[in-house]
Amino acid sequence: MQIAKRLYLYKDLFRVFVWREFTIRYRQSIIGVLWAIIQPLSMMALFTFIFSYVLKLKVADYPHTIFFYSGLLPWIFFSSSLNYSIPSLTNHYDLITKIYFPREILPLSGISVAFIDYVIASLIFAIILAAYKIHITWNVVWLIPLFILLLFFTIAVSLFLSSVNVYYRDVKLATGFLIQAWFFASPVMYSIDQLNVKFKLILFLNPLTFIIENMRRCVIEGRSVVLWQFVLVGIIITIFYLLSYKFFIKTERDFADVI
Amino acid sequence: MLSDVIVELKNVWKKYSIRDMFHRSLREDFINIFRGNKCDLKEDEFWALKNINISLGERECVGLYGPNGSGKTTILKLISSVTYPTRGEVTVKGRVAPLIAVGAGFHPDLTGRENIYMNGTIIGMTLKEIREHMAEIIEFSELEKFIDMPVKKYSSGMYLKLGFSIAIHSSAEILLIDEILAVSDESFQKKCIGKIKDIKSNKAMVVVSHNRALMEQIVDRIIFLEEGEIKNLHLVINK
Repeated sequence: MQIAKRLYLYKDLFRVFVWREFTIRYRQSIIGVLWAIIQPLSMMALFTFIFSYVLKLKVADYPHTIFFYSGLLPWIFFSSSLNYSIPSLTNHYDLITKIYFPREILPLSGISVAFIDYVIASLIFAIILAAYKIHITWNVVWLIPLFILLLFFTIAVSLFLSSVNVYYRDVKLATGFLIQAWFFASPVMYSIDQLNVKFKLILFLNPLTFIIENMRRCVIEGRSVVLWQFVLVGIIITIFYLLSYKFFIKTERDFADVI
Repeated sequence: MLSDVIVELKNVWKKYSIRDMFHRSLREDFINIFRGNKCDLKEDEFWALKNINISLGERECVGLYGPNGSGKTTILKLISSVTYPTRGEVTVKGRVAPLIAVGAGFHPDLTGRENIYMNGTIIGMTLKEIREHMAEIIEFSELEKFIDMPVKKYSSGMYLKLGFSIAIHSSAEILLIDEILAVSDESFQKKCIGKIKDIKSNKAMVVVSHNRALMEQIVDRIIFLEEGEIKNLHLVINK
């Protein structure tokens, strides 16, 4: 947990950064924090409309609204984290070339803001679930370890891509496309249940597949997570996180010279 | 001047590239990983610092003087660990508050007060320290009336005053002051110099300025730099 040690000394700076990102985003905006729930809600409405009325497809045995919303929650956390964090280092050019602080504070504060949005949007989800009278079981507790996996995976991707972006701005240019492609590779608007084994295996190469599918299962269907699968994905994500953080620390020394 | 050495640069060399990053190629980067020879100078590279040796005592105030591009700011960046030497060693014992460009991290949409928190934490103060010094900082800046206004509406002079007031209240042991005295109005400048002289007794300082007379008022000795080399060793100003 080298990251915690590095951040501890600068915990006040980190707090201020998160606070700043959060207040600035909603300053001079009329509805402010409501934006955090407008995105998932409107996407949910759109998907429900398209699948229920335009394509007339049945994607789940329960209401489409909660099916889509449950997938959109982790997805929006992941995608907006990337959107904030990838350009975060290059946006703070003036700070990086002048003052030292652990650089990961910049991408991490972007992720923290996405997390605040996630929490707000989750509260709405709880209301929606109650409205549909979904039976919640104890397996809902699985959400916490699943979210920790999601968090570490998001940090790993963010640290790696934001660092590479310092060297090659191509990353920033590719972000929109990358996120869009990743969206279709993740089971947000479909479920992998109906797919054959070959496609399932391919989709499971994307750690988000496991996370999103299981988050949906443990909340809506009240099913638990297969432990060995969880451990396997956990190990893969941990390795990826460690490599990515190491890469970040190594490249960080040159940020001021190449940015 | 028998205090402990708090900052030391030992045979420090620093290489920079003239090239714009957009022209670098992956292929070349890849080859460089395997070559790993950092000390050869390629055609588009130059030494920003050549064999620099500086040591700074605990309560010493040193001025760096020289034309543009002589490596003054690079030295400050090395001391504050913003960048690292290509060769040689930089040792720093203590917290560094870099005043390189006052007001770094000011966000235009935040108010003066909010930016004190922002900028204060950036230069390494804790929130507790900032709260304790808040009144002093505002008073020193002479901006009481405007402190709850977004800084995008500030003039550049006000920007500077606020930035300097924050920096001067930092509790770091080492202060780096880069060309920040020259810009504000005369009365505020005098006040700043007075304040620097006050806090000098318990801090180490490195001052960069093009204003020789101003520098001589503050520093204990001046190091002359030219094209990345120390020219005239340590002119001592007796006071």
